[in-house]
Amino acid sequence: MTNGIAAQNSAINNLPVELEELVDDNTVLVQRTLRSGQSVYHDGNVVVLGDVNPGAEIVATGNIVVMGALRGVVHAGAKGDANAVILAFRLRPTQLRIANHITRPPEEEISDPDYPELARIKNGVVTIETFNSNFK
Amino acid sequence: MGEVIVVTSGKGGVGKTTTTANLGTGLAAASKKVCLVDADIGLRNLDVVLGLENRIVYDIVDVTTGVCRLRQALIKDKRFEGLHLLPAAQTKDKTAVNPEQMKELCEELRKEFDYVIIDCPAGIEQGFRNAIAGADRAIVVTTPEVSAVRDADRIIGLLEAADLREPKLIINRYRPKMVNRGDMMSIDDMNEILAIDLLGVVPEDEQVVVTTNKGETVVRDDKSLSGQAYRNITRRIMGENVPLMNLEEPSGLFSALRKMIGLK
Repeated sequence: MTNGIAAQNSAINNLPVELEELVDDNTVLVQRTLRSGQSVYHDGNVVVLGDVNPGAEIVATGNIVVMGALRGVVHAGAKGDANAVILAFRLRPTQLRIANHITRPPEEEISDPDYPELARIKNGVVTIETFNSNFK
Repeated sequence: MGEVIVVTSGKGGVGKTTTTANLGTGLAAASKKVCLVDADIGLRNLDVVLGLENRIVYDIVDVTTGVCRLRQALIKDKRFEGLHLLPAAQTKDKTAVNPEQMKELCEELRKEFDYVIIDCPAGIEQGFRNAIAGADRAIVVTTPEVSAVRDADRIIGLLEAADLREPKLIINRYRPKMVNRGDMMSIDDMNEILAIDLLGVVPEDEQVVVTTNKGETVVRDDKSLSGQAYRNITRRIMGENVPLMNLEEPSGLFSALRKMIGLK
């Protein structure tokens, strides 16, 4: 919890000027890798410039974007927003949660794509798809 | 002014004490003045590994509570001129010392020694906070197991939060054959998660157990791979640029023959 707050504060205060305009009131930029035991809780969107390691946790009421490998547990749309999405350069989560859906990666199937993927709820189930910039 | 280095890991049993003893011995063999501090109060081990148990009169808690002077508690190693040990107390627990006292202690020790190496207890509670309080830099020890790597990752996060930036990694008990078979995490696998500078890789070696049980250190064993690994790490700590050694055990008829005639 304290880690989470610290992460938010430092992320807001230490932004380089050119990135500042990307952040509205509702988005927090985490400029480091989240390691095991560290967490970020935010009422809005969370963008991580780094990895989310196993044992780390992000809970956001909005979307979650990880510009690195996502290996921990993340919860997007934590207050019930089923339109929230989770996007990561390497989507390898321990567990994915969107709104009131909880999923984990399949145990037998070992796919290891090295491109960005997007998770969202489609027709009531969490689906993972290749991310391309004109997704709808 | 000397440097204070804490050896930590999160998980127990990965080789913090063995690493501390070997680095201390290695540095002392390179004519440095070294003080090893056992911060594992209540589970005192470092003195046993160094074979100095029977020389303990005063311990770290006696120093911080003013029962004795620092100089009185320091034990001189029997083999190396420059090597000293400040033993832990065995009959107290971690709350017998606080981080402020540890900071003062480290400040005092660094005036006397080139290197002060602190053996951190397992865990992330007060014992850990005590051990890192006075340190300038940290060495994180892990083994190629998911649980040890996970704990190392947690520890690195806590070290960074405590402003101990850029900790260095030692991978212990590495088994190249198992890695080649795909049965053990590779150096790259661990680097992908932990993403910190690698200080060295110590291969699994029976000789570590053999020497430890005799109160000796493998770093003084010229023939063992693990001893070579610790010697390389020692040189890197002193600022030398030493490439990672080849951990593959020599195989095939030729090297077997060389081994037989003692050429190694």
